[in-house]
Amino acid sequence: MTSLAALAVAAHLVSLPSPLTPLSASPPLAGGAHTSGEGTPHRIAADVEVGVTVDTNGTLVGLRALQRLDVRRIGDYTFTIGAPVTRVLAARGSQSAPGQRTGAILWAGFNPGRRVLAASAELDPSAGAALPLRIERDGDRVILRNTTAITAPAFTADAQSKELLSTLAAFRNGSLLGGRANVTSKVTRTRISVSAPLSVTGSIGGRRVDVVLGGAASPLTRSFPAGAVRLTVRALRAPELLSPPPGESGRALLARTIRASLELARVRQYDTFLGNPDPAGASTTTYRYVTGVRATAPSTAHRKQGRDWLATALWIAGAIVAAGVGAVVWSRS
Amino acid sequence: VSRALPLLVSVVLLAGCGGASSTPRASLLVIVNAPFSKTPSLGRAIEDGSRLAAGEVNAAGIRVGDRRYDLRIATMDSALSPARAVADVRRAVGRHAVAIVDEGTGVDASWQIAERAGVPIGVVFEGSENIVDPAKRRNVFRIAPTDHGIAFRLAEYLVPKGLKLALIHDDSDYGTAGGQALAGAFSRNRSAVAIDLTVPADALDLGPQMLRARRARATGVLVWGRPATIAAAITAARTAGWQVPFFTPPTGADPFVRQQLADHPSWVDGLTFASGRLTAEVGTGPFQAFERRLESEYGVERVGVKTRSGRDVIQPPETAMYAYDFVNLVAAAIAKADSTEPAKITAALEQVSVAGANGDSRGFNENNHEGVIDDDVYFARFHDMTYSPVKDDPLSRTLPVVTQLG
Repeated sequence: MTSLAALAVAAHLVSLPSPLTPLSASPPLAGGAHTSGEGTPHRIAADVEVGVTVDTNGTLVGLRALQRLDVRRIGDYTFTIGAPVTRVLAARGSQSAPGQRTGAILWAGFNPGRRVLAASAELDPSAGAALPLRIERDGDRVILRNTTAITAPAFTADAQSKELLSTLAAFRNGSLLGGRANVTSKVTRTRISVSAPLSVTGSIGGRRVDVVLGGAASPLTRSFPAGAVRLTVRALRAPELLSPPPGESGRALLARTIRASLELARVRQYDTFLGNPDPAGASTTTYRYVTGVRATAPSTAHRKQGRDWLATALWIAGAIVAAGVGAVVWSRS
Repeated sequence: VSRALPLLVSVVLLAGCGGASSTPRASLLVIVNAPFSKTPSLGRAIEDGSRLAAGEVNAAGIRVGDRRYDLRIATMDSALSPARAVADVRRAVGRHAVAIVDEGTGVDASWQIAERAGVPIGVVFEGSENIVDPAKRRNVFRIAPTDHGIAFRLAEYLVPKGLKLALIHDDSDYGTAGGQALAGAFSRNRSAVAIDLTVPADALDLGPQMLRARRARATGVLVWGRPATIAAAITAARTAGWQVPFFTPPTGADPFVRQQLADHPSWVDGLTFASGRLTAEVGTGPFQAFERRLESEYGVERVGVKTRSGRDVIQPPETAMYAYDFVNLVAAAIAKADSTEPAKITAALEQVSVAGANGDSRGFNENNHEGVIDDDVYFARFHDMTYSPVKDDPLSRTLPVVTQLG
């Protein structure tokens, strides 16, 4: 007998999955964020805007993130925000300047009570694997694909409605604390596929787009006539699951609540594309996709290393031309 | 054979032990370039902090590949002369130093010599703005409050008080750089400035200049200069019966100021200076532990004055702390780089942090080669020849008092 089943038989109480537990390693990128040396834990609201530039085939050509941390409570702070950064600058409104290390944005200083820390970071394209939406070209169509789906462990059982309804009500009010179910039958393990429902708004080829992709009630993909994209993507807090119809059975309510918990966990992950140093802090991420050209490499003061292949090719071409001219001159001499 | 076997085994075991423990470690040279002949106390502070760190690092050594290395400290006297400082750096490079701990004099010229060899320079005193530039001077790092940070924090602290300030700087390199930093910091609050004055660094009497400041209706005096300038300005004001409050950069806490005013201890009372915080949020514990280790190795730095109750006053080892932290960062960078090649150590310095002597995390990064950030600048006020953090600044009021009594 599994421990879960034993628990169910013994106490009829089973813990539901927690929306605070991520279902995959990423997002947040690069292990998320952490603090060090904080005497007083700060309360932090994190807001991230991810700029995704794709070419006409939907291939990623540029990725940037602007993170704004609203830090409360007096005291020292040292934050490390994991991300494959290639360049980090202070963003408008920042009250301090960010540091940059391989794989991280750094913040350190003293917070006199409230401090806004804002960084604009260029990200390595490898971070694109953690984006919630992929844009694909299929002939004269553009396919929008929600990439957040994942299979997660769950369970089924008959259950009393009261606790489940209160957990769903708490979710509706913004709580992300997991609940418990009072089960009245044998618990059966299962696995379910969940995804973060994405609100996708904007335009493709000048045509208005306003769809939901993924979640429990919408398809993961939609296609549209091809064209330049200008889309805003946000993860929705499982709205299709949080208001059950009257009279829903306890078993169905349990399945709904588990799915909602897992879906919220997924939403929380995509709302935290860059980590928040405050594990209990509010996090939101907005993704903006646009069709564009490859961003030029940021200028750096680092001395260029290695061979200049263009110059080499020009030298070779020049040498061939010179040799040809020389041969002609020689043959006529 | 039966008697020879245990002997043979013992010999083999002893030989094995000896081989493991007596493998000589190679040493890596770290040069301390400081003005030992001109300002011995400053030079000694930098040397002591560096030697303490090296001694602690050497307890375990630094592992690079299969070998372990020690750090070896050697000193060179810059004599506050840029030309000598440059010559010192050239010699340090010639001796294959892996890092230079530098007071800061002459770095504007010496950094390129060090850069060509990839050698990092850690400035631990001089705070002028353009010494450090991560884009252009990738091998220059600093652990010391910057003039920029000090000046802007002073403006942030003083402007809301509604004072009309006399901004006075002397014509030394230090004073000139400070004057420029103050000009920038007060550029948006010129109404807070009653008068700007430049005074000679070697003047014994600043009476006329202080009279000008008084006639300009200054209600506060901010003096940025050598300790002698600060002492002279306070003496001139108090001798004339002008009880105006004085504010200074870190040189206000230099022992020389108190020594000069020792005959009139009340003149020191109320002097407020800005400097880098000595303690972290965790409290005084780490700093005091560092102070004890430093004292047990090299003794205390006595200010040379006493409190009203007759107790000796000692100087907290701020500059030694910065040198100590830089040498520890160099050791961490060598380990991170897994190389003794100076250029790789320089690159790794942007990627490592260490627990500083005061318990705070200390480190640099690719965007910032400053180890003391503006947020770390606090204000302290003298009373009875010792100072304590002020209570009317958000950071300072969170800081504990560091013991200064012998």
